[in-house]
Amino acid sequence: MPRAEPPAEKPLLPQGAELAPPPTRLKVYGSLALSLAATLLPWSDDLHWLVPDFTLMALLYWNIHAPRLAGLGMAFTLGLVTDVARGVLMGLNALAFCAATFVILLVQRRLEGFDAPRQSLQVAPVLLGKEALVLTLGLMLGLGEADWRWLAAGVVAGVLWMPLAWLVDRLTGRPSRPPVPLP
Amino acid sequence: MSPAPHAPLFVREMGLPARFGVYVLLCLFLLGLDARYSALSGVRAGLNTLLHPLQAVLAQPWAWTQDVSGFFVTHGELAAENVRLKEERDRLRADFLDRQALAAENANLRDLLALAHHPGVIPVVGEIRETVADPFSRKVIIDRGSAHGLEAGWPVVDAAGLVGQVTRVYPWTAEVTLLTDRDQAAPVQNMRNGLRLIVSGQGSDNLLEIRFLDMHADLQPGDWLYTSGIDGVYPAGIPVARVMQTEPPRHTPFARAVCRPLGGVGNYRHVAVLKPRLPPQAPPVPAPRPPPGHAPR
Repeated sequence: MPRAEPPAEKPLLPQGAELAPPPTRLKVYGSLALSLAATLLPWSDDLHWLVPDFTLMALLYWNIHAPRLAGLGMAFTLGLVTDVARGVLMGLNALAFCAATFVILLVQRRLEGFDAPRQSLQVAPVLLGKEALVLTLGLMLGLGEADWRWLAAGVVAGVLWMPLAWLVDRLTGRPSRPPVPLP
Repeated sequence: MSPAPHAPLFVREMGLPARFGVYVLLCLFLLGLDARYSALSGVRAGLNTLLHPLQAVLAQPWAWTQDVSGFFVTHGELAAENVRLKEERDRLRADFLDRQALAAENANLRDLLALAHHPGVIPVVGEIRETVADPFSRKVIIDRGSAHGLEAGWPVVDAAGLVGQVTRVYPWTAEVTLLTDRDQAAPVQNMRNGLRLIVSGQGSDNLLEIRFLDMHADLQPGDWLYTSGIDGVYPAGIPVARVMQTEPPRHTPFARAVCRPLGGVGNYRHVAVLKPRLPPQAPPVPAPRPPPGHAPR
């Protein structure tokens, strides 16, 4: 009696063109530098508290898709540069960046297989949490009263994750569907 | 272009939580170092020097668009502005004459009272480049730095009154903490009766407050406050604030007063840093000797 063949139209693993090419150093470091430049732009005073932290978004994106290239060390370095550019205490943003990177690296395997909309549901709390962490650390270190409007930057970042991650996915040649169909 | 490194087959590094712990400790160490001691100012100045050209380049397109939009002003706007400027010139001329008379009278009165003259200061005019993106403080960056001879601690004024103080100096820029910052304070004197007070910011954009005011202090709404000059930082006689209201003590033994700053703390683009004119070197005062035969207790 012949054994039943598995259905050929549903392969268990992604095949051929579905596999994304590995991201190159140029793409990773270039996009990180671009996003850092975006945060350094002379934004208007009235909008400063609405501008999301593009550096953190790019960092988390590459933590998901290229964790060997952008890890805790990169988070620490970018955080220190942000601290200097914003003129706050050295290590404030570095600590927040490292914490966000740590959380994302813990669930990196799961996020890697998701497409941008599903990722955004899980990354948005981390982006919001980073702003809350910066404000809370500032309160703990006695920097004065926190301006809680700045939490809005985290919300904006969470909303912008879906279109931006989708865009970068297309630019780096990632397939538009999640490679493994959910059961 | 080299491909991305693959995950190693045998992991020879610390686990993720351990590495995270190391970085957290490093960050906390840096935070403590920067918050308690200014040990990192050299590192900060170096990194800022690297970032400064980049920020200048990024701000350039904005400046260009402003230049272009400034070129296309209409004839009507120019004519209206011309009329306004003429009126203002006449008014200023009248003011100037008044001021000359007042200055002469003031010099006379000062000579009469044998008071010391206003200590000399040299204003260094700078332009505000940006406000610091920090939810906790009220600070601005001006385009004058240590290359122009600035030092931390010097007062910053505008045409109307005191604005703040230089707190950090970088090679081409400097950070000015505004008077409205929560941690900023200035010793002042009530012009009406000479009462000495300390005005401090409260983190709001256009209000100052006098904390720990004596319950019976003679301070009324409408009083003008000038710097008293007794701290050695701010020269005497700079207008600072006008009292808006005084609040009687509640739950505490002290009253409190709310004032409005006179200088355009959040308004103008140009400010002047007051560079102290160096006083002639005074000979060191010899330490007083204890009188002979007086045993220390």
